[in-house]
Amino acid sequence: MSVATLDNLSIHYETPLRTVTAVDQVSLVVEPGQCLGLVGESGSGKSTIGLALQGLLTKDTTARATGHLTVGDRVLSPTDNSSWEGIRGSKVTTVFQDPMTSLDPTMTIGHMLGRVTRSSQDSLRWLEEVEIRSPRTVLKAYPHQLSGGMRQRVMIALALARRPALLIADEPTTALDVGVQAQILKLLTRERDSLGCGVLFITHDLGVARAMCDDIAVMRNGRVIERGTSDRIFDAPSEPYTQRLIASRLTLNVERAIPLGMPESSVIASMGEALRERGLDADSVTERWERRELTWTEFAPPTSVAQTPALTLRGVSKAFRSGSMFGAKKQVLNDVDLIVAHGQSVALVGESGSGKSTILRIAAGLERADAGEVSVAGSIGSGVQVVFQDAGISLTPWLTVSQLLMERLANAPQTRHLDQAAHTASARLALERVALDPSVLSARASQLSGGQKQRVAIARAIVVPPTVLLCDEPTSALDVSVASIVLNLLNLLRHELGMSILFVTHDLAAARIIADRVDIISNGRIIESVPAEDIRAVESEYGRRLLDAVLA
Amino acid sequence: MVRFAIDRTVSAVVVLFVLLLLIFTVSRAGGADPVRGYLGANASAEAVAAARERLGLDQPLFVQFGQYLTGLTQGDLGLSLSTRRPVSEELAQRIPATAELALWAIVFALILAVVFAGAYSLRGKVAAVIRFVLFSAASAPAFLLATAGVLLLFAQLGWLPASGRTSYGPSDGMTGLYVLDGILAGNPAYAWDAFQHVLLPALAAAIGPGVAIARVLADGISGSLKSGYAQTARSLGESESTIVRRHALRNASSPALTLLGVQIGMMLSSLVVVEQIFSWNGLGQYLTSAISAADLNAVAAISLVLGGLYILINTLVDIVLAIVDPRVRLT
Repeated sequence: MSVATLDNLSIHYETPLRTVTAVDQVSLVVEPGQCLGLVGESGSGKSTIGLALQGLLTKDTTARATGHLTVGDRVLSPTDNSSWEGIRGSKVTTVFQDPMTSLDPTMTIGHMLGRVTRSSQDSLRWLEEVEIRSPRTVLKAYPHQLSGGMRQRVMIALALARRPALLIADEPTTALDVGVQAQILKLLTRERDSLGCGVLFITHDLGVARAMCDDIAVMRNGRVIERGTSDRIFDAPSEPYTQRLIASRLTLNVERAIPLGMPESSVIASMGEALRERGLDADSVTERWERRELTWTEFAPPTSVAQTPALTLRGVSKAFRSGSMFGAKKQVLNDVDLIVAHGQSVALVGESGSGKSTILRIAAGLERADAGEVSVAGSIGSGVQVVFQDAGISLTPWLTVSQLLMERLANAPQTRHLDQAAHTASARLALERVALDPSVLSARASQLSGGQKQRVAIARAIVVPPTVLLCDEPTSALDVSVASIVLNLLNLLRHELGMSILFVTHDLAAARIIADRVDIISNGRIIESVPAEDIRAVESEYGRRLLDAVLA
Repeated sequence: MVRFAIDRTVSAVVVLFVLLLLIFTVSRAGGADPVRGYLGANASAEAVAAARERLGLDQPLFVQFGQYLTGLTQGDLGLSLSTRRPVSEELAQRIPATAELALWAIVFALILAVVFAGAYSLRGKVAAVIRFVLFSAASAPAFLLATAGVLLLFAQLGWLPASGRTSYGPSDGMTGLYVLDGILAGNPAYAWDAFQHVLLPALAAAIGPGVAIARVLADGISGSLKSGYAQTARSLGESESTIVRRHALRNASSPALTLLGVQIGMMLSSLVVVEQIFSWNGLGQYLTSAISAADLNAVAAISLVLGGLYILINTLVDIVLAIVDPRVRLT
């Protein structure tokens, strides 16, 4: 008998203004021991299905549901709380996305596990089961004393300790470092095999879905548009949307010299504009992209490359004090040398805590180095500009896009003296370059999608072209198809404007696409530096580990 | 944990010393001449000079400060120039009165905070009216609430007394807190009478802080209920009331406790006014008369007691915070 079924399930949210359909007539079956992947981009309805299967939609008074839902032999209502007693937390449990927030900071791990297992021996056994080293110490620890990976293991122990029939894994590895990600997936697979529970694996990451799932259902706009075995979906996707998703996926085999994925109309418009400006043929861009004949070098200006480096860091060290004024100092950067030549793009790759973001912040002048030299050549632009990971919080919420761009133009030394009309023209040009319609000029950040916000952040950074564009994981919070648009745009801008780029990321595949050179950083030191085309030739053990972690 | 407590205590002592220095400097550098206040406006210049010398006021400031510190360690706070008795004696009489009032006010503020936080979390029209009333009450200064309380509960209804600490006369109990003394002495009638006396002034001082803390507590609880760990608890089958009790309250109490420390400080200053209205013979009344008489020793001593109390309470709050939130103590 199947562990869970959805039969023609629809879920609407009724807001005072309109009714939003989150899930549209979805039917799914999860069998015991099966891992079913629910893959889709944000807003596809995959998380709503996860909530419905735990009976957690009952909290939301605006949710309305039709259709049927069963767990085991019980027929349940997604919106009636009373029917979920004895199901939620025993037959169905969940591993959530962010282990940093999903554990109560005021409870010890032992206390939390004890509430589920009711005995400290069992708690200890479960910590051993999820491969936590020194479990006795961890039982007495609080969540903030554990690493992200450890916390997610604890979360898995909590979810499995009741021996559920259905485990919902809601993006369980998205917030983790790539190395840890692989271990957690392995652990989940092993536990599924030993407990024989069904797993509903919700993710936006096709690579993870392929590594983890037997079957995959692809969701878009609340509907399941395609389903099949993992291999079938990957090798012979039938829906154009699925094809596009798979094409925009980053692997180490993707061609670097040409645009990523399938032709995207908004990017093509910007490309055409760039070529026209140079008096080149702009008509056949789409066809040439499709025929894989369009190369990035076509967009580069015919000027010679300057000899001086755009960004130089020499012997840079930095330590941070932890906790209060009297806390111990922790060395974050150790004698780092980094040179980015004019027009060059360098990726800095490492896991969280490696010091990569600190280098970026020092280069941006947001942080001061304890020792060493930092210099930026300011010949063609105004030094440096930064694009952060989370555009949602880097855009001032009460300013319109137009105000954000105008503010930058009014303050930059190169454009300060220009009149309003010139500023408006520059703002429009910047939006065009990041493939946004001028209609977003009057919008505020809250009215834009994640991809649009990130493109506005890039537009703000390049509206006065900087010498070096500093990017801090600008694509890691974005859906795959949107991420490929942003990467394509960054590549286009870099060639078109002759900017240098310092691209900080944990993802070697993205680094390889955007950079000429990849520097690998670990524990505050740059341990290896390889040309992007030879990324597979990394020699350091740490570099190899990062390479293995790119699932594909 | 012990180390944390020691850390906090050491820094509290440092702050206290700085406070002492500040109070001393400000009181001596002020324009008022304490000797004139002491001897009267018609005293001869010789008499003033003699008194100045006798009181040590002719010495350089830092010597005076040294003498003041030495005296302080021996419990000698100087002579109260307005009452011509040692300041320490005056304080010994009045500190219990203010302490009793302040303690009850803190207890009421905490009770009100939890009750009001519940009222804030309710939905619907009735709750909106309650919120409006609470918000208005919290915006009113303590003296207004005190006066209104006197008019309604004493003058109109006659339910509660409106002045003094007791109807029977001072307690001879050891704590000087009349309600406690009454209970310890096995005299419930005395304790009940003292409680009735303290009820109005304590409530007048407690409502403002109570509502302020309630808002923060209610916000914290509703934020906690939306958090990842609340969702985890739900997914593990815990009921909503368990989640509030076991997870939300504790996580929401950190900001509320921080605010409590600040609010108690403000409450101490509002007690000065409240004591006036209720003829409560405590530090507040003493401070008012000392200021008007340029009685610098008394002003300095009262500031020191109130400031020290504030530092003590905030140090306690920090330590309680560390007990409640392991992230504070284990970093």
